[in-house]
Amino acid sequence: MATPRSDIPQGTLDLLVLKVVAQAPLHGYGIAQRLQQLSRDVVQVQQGSLYPALHRLENRGLLAAEWRPSDTGREAKFYSLTRKGRRQLATEESGWRRLAEAIGLILANAEGEIT
Amino acid sequence: MTWLGRLVRRTRAEAELAAELRDHLERRVTDLVQDGMEEPEARRLAGLELGGIEQLKENCRDARGTRWAHDLAHDLRYGVRVLGQTPIFTAVAVLSLALGIGANSAIFSMVNGLLLRTLPVQDPSRLVLLNGGSWTNPLWEQVRDRRAAFAEGAAAWGTERFDLARGGQSEFVDGLYASGGYFETLGVRAILGRTFTPADDRRGGGPDGPVAVISYRWWQARFGGAADIIGRPLSLNRARFTIIGVTPPGFLGPVVGRGFDVTVPLGTVDLFRDGPENALDSRSWWWLDIMLRLKPGETIEEATRALRGLQPQIRQATMPQDWRVQDLESYLRDGFTLVSAAAGPSELRKEYERPLLTLMAVVGLVLFIACANIANLLLARATARRHELAMRRALGASGFRLARQLLAESLLLSAAGAVVGLLFARWGTSLLVSQLSTFRAVVTLDVPLDWRVLAFTAAVTIATALVFGIAPALRAARVDPNDALKQQGRSLTAEGRGGLGTALVIAQVALSLVLVVAAGLFVRTFATLATADTGFDRDPVLIVTVDAQHSKIAPADRVASFDRLRKAAAAVPGVAHAGASFLTPASGMGWNNRFEIPDAADLPEQERVVWVNAVTAGYFQAFGTAVLEGRDFNDGDRAGSARVAIVNQAFVRKYIKGPSALGHAFTREGPPGSPPTPFEVIGVVEDAVYRSPRDGKPPTVYLALQQRSEASGEPVMASVNIVVRAAGTGSPMLLSKSLADVLARVDPSVSLTFRPLAEQFDALFVRERLVAVLSAFFGGLALLMAAIGLYGVTAYAVSCRRTEIGVRMALGADAGRVVRLVLGRVAWLVGAGVAVGLVISLWASRFVSSLLYGLEATDATTLTGAAAVLATVAALAAWLPARRAARIDPAEVLRNG
Repeated sequence: MATPRSDIPQGTLDLLVLKVVAQAPLHGYGIAQRLQQLSRDVVQVQQGSLYPALHRLENRGLLAAEWRPSDTGREAKFYSLTRKGRRQLATEESGWRRLAEAIGLILANAEGEIT
Repeated sequence: MTWLGRLVRRTRAEAELAAELRDHLERRVTDLVQDGMEEPEARRLAGLELGGIEQLKENCRDARGTRWAHDLAHDLRYGVRVLGQTPIFTAVAVLSLALGIGANSAIFSMVNGLLLRTLPVQDPSRLVLLNGGSWTNPLWEQVRDRRAAFAEGAAAWGTERFDLARGGQSEFVDGLYASGGYFETLGVRAILGRTFTPADDRRGGGPDGPVAVISYRWWQARFGGAADIIGRPLSLNRARFTIIGVTPPGFLGPVVGRGFDVTVPLGTVDLFRDGPENALDSRSWWWLDIMLRLKPGETIEEATRALRGLQPQIRQATMPQDWRVQDLESYLRDGFTLVSAAAGPSELRKEYERPLLTLMAVVGLVLFIACANIANLLLARATARRHELAMRRALGASGFRLARQLLAESLLLSAAGAVVGLLFARWGTSLLVSQLSTFRAVVTLDVPLDWRVLAFTAAVTIATALVFGIAPALRAARVDPNDALKQQGRSLTAEGRGGLGTALVIAQVALSLVLVVAAGLFVRTFATLATADTGFDRDPVLIVTVDAQHSKIAPADRVASFDRLRKAAAAVPGVAHAGASFLTPASGMGWNNRFEIPDAADLPEQERVVWVNAVTAGYFQAFGTAVLEGRDFNDGDRAGSARVAIVNQAFVRKYIKGPSALGHAFTREGPPGSPPTPFEVIGVVEDAVYRSPRDGKPPTVYLALQQRSEASGEPVMASVNIVVRAAGTGSPMLLSKSLADVLARVDPSVSLTFRPLAEQFDALFVRERLVAVLSAFFGGLALLMAAIGLYGVTAYAVSCRRTEIGVRMALGADAGRVVRLVLGRVAWLVGAGVAVGLVISLWASRFVSSLLYGLEATDATTLTGAAAVLATVAALAAWLPARRAARIDPAEVLRNG
């Protein structure tokens, strides 16, 4: 693993979690795995911070949780997106895109000036 | 899920959290093993990736917002354990808090019931009262007929004590004459049957005859809640009424503090007061209260303006007959005003508002003193627990966490105190309310444990916990963890606990002094009034009120009938003297007339208005009032004989020039057009109290009851008092049975009420007695708590300075010196406290001066007396630890430390 791995920026974990859950209801471990795959192992999600984030989102009503039988034969806690979560995801996603675009733009311009 | 729901399901949430994390670990291990890792190694790595499992759980709890609840539950559980280890401390603390909080809740319940609650009727905020006392029925009819201009509805009522008995000894029930629109205006519906309407409010009774609506309370108490109550007959003042409805449980009439069990239409008053005494037509019988319901959105000012616009017509149509011109002018000018009646009109409120607020302050101070005591105890305990707290600090608890732990303990104490206190309060309030009733008015006050009282108690509980818990908590937060590592050392001098403890004790002493001063002032006020010289003997006199209103006796025969009854009473064995009078002293009623007195012609006319009573022979003997000059009335003073009067010394001093009043003549002003009545003074009697000792012994004229007659334009009142002096020393009430028998034999149709004169007098001072008793009780309680506080602080100081004292004694100090050393410090504390307390007392005196009689609020005797009491109690409290200090064995101290 030669690629340098960085911690994800503060506050984006919630957005990533919402995005992952938006595709299909998942349990905590599944979400961790999925995050890892999607970010192609570039982003390091501290597993210790995932569960507090899940509980926080559940508490804010953005995620709903349900205990369901799973592939292991045991019941697992599956998280899914609520209507409110879906709205929140849409706002945060577009906000994030705008921010990323803006930062990209600034970086490009700044380079130009220096040269 | 709300946080509350989550709190309730806390255990389940905990289990789910554990299961969720376990599931994660299992899956990770499975994956790692599939990748070829050995299972033990996989387990170790999975755990490592997740971080500390307990820490993670804690973070999840934080994320869910339940951590504080988790911690609080823990703090409380731990607190219960800690408090359980010191049961005596806990019991003392809870008991003193229960007294303090209970007293506050009790007095607040009264304040709530009397001052804050609104009437239990529909939309009480729109109710207003026509201000200025009572009104006549003609005026009410004018207001009722013109109400559309200024109000949505209007109601009037007059109070009455209905006699339920059909003869002989009376049995009273408080009732109302109410206008037909009364129930509709208030918005009160019957829970059984119906209420009455304007159709029922006809003179002598409506289509269903005279009808009555009764209260739920009375329906239960008198009729056992009988289901067939509607349609039952009810005898009121010997007239037959029909019960047509029962009002809802909370509703006891429009007057706060009174409970009216029977309500009948205004028009039925015609059944009882016919002819010249007819209440409905009289333009100078003022007996009705008038209440209006404003239109939605209408303000009191708008309604007042509209009413003022109609004032000339209303006044003009209701001018009292036979008034002097100048009095009629002021009648016309007197402007109507409206006042909010949302809380209902209340004499009781006027009388008790200030005493209650004073008592509220008193119990607040008592609670504060209790808090100071407990704070001191907790501080001492915190010192003892220093090692434990330091150990917890050393093990990683934050200062905040320790402070919270101690505050949780304080909250537990104060909550336990509040629970016991509410029981005290329940019991205390019903006791208080029952003390307010007198023969004149049965006080009914609804003092429920409603949300206001509970919220107040909860607020007091939390505030209390903070007041006494904050200092120990802050101190705990500053505990140095290193202390845990040290051996508990010994030091020569006391630790630096002095500052706060000292301040608390000074505050306690100061506030106790304020309360003792207040108790002294109120007790002396009551004692002055209760033992005031009245000019007659109270204890042996029994008053028998004879009411011929509803009897068979014709008005013209009343004088003769009353005379027969009086003579029959005088002949009863055990009766020393018997007389009759229209009024009795301190009965709450008064009668005055304006006189033309030749010697006092230069006095302005309001100075010549004198209290009057009409009495018969035997009255002065019965009361033990000496006839100083001339003679008493006798049988020769009858209708048609020359009019005579007896005056008292105060009258002679004020109105008569010359050595003797005998033979002087004066005249009483009659209504305009009728000639004044001349009287000749035939006797002078001792001065006596007329209405209340507060008014002193005013000039009084006694006229001969037997000289009154219809013919001379002086109707004879339907009710007189036969005053009886018991020959023996026992209670005069013992005579009531034989008197009732004898009087009933003379005339079975009159109704009789028996009351000792002493009881009538006591009723004057109910308020003063209540305030005196309560302030004395709380003053004593404050004193006791201050003594305990002082004892505790001194004992603690002595135990801290054991070593120092031992060394001093070893160096030659004798016992007296040690005692002086200890007492010197106490004297300083008490001196400072007393000084502060005196300043506060002087400042607070202005608030209570209106409740005092016979002394100033800054009365020097009371202030010095209170200071002396406090100093004595303090000396006693400090004596025990001082003596213990003097008995310290220096050798033992030096050996063992």
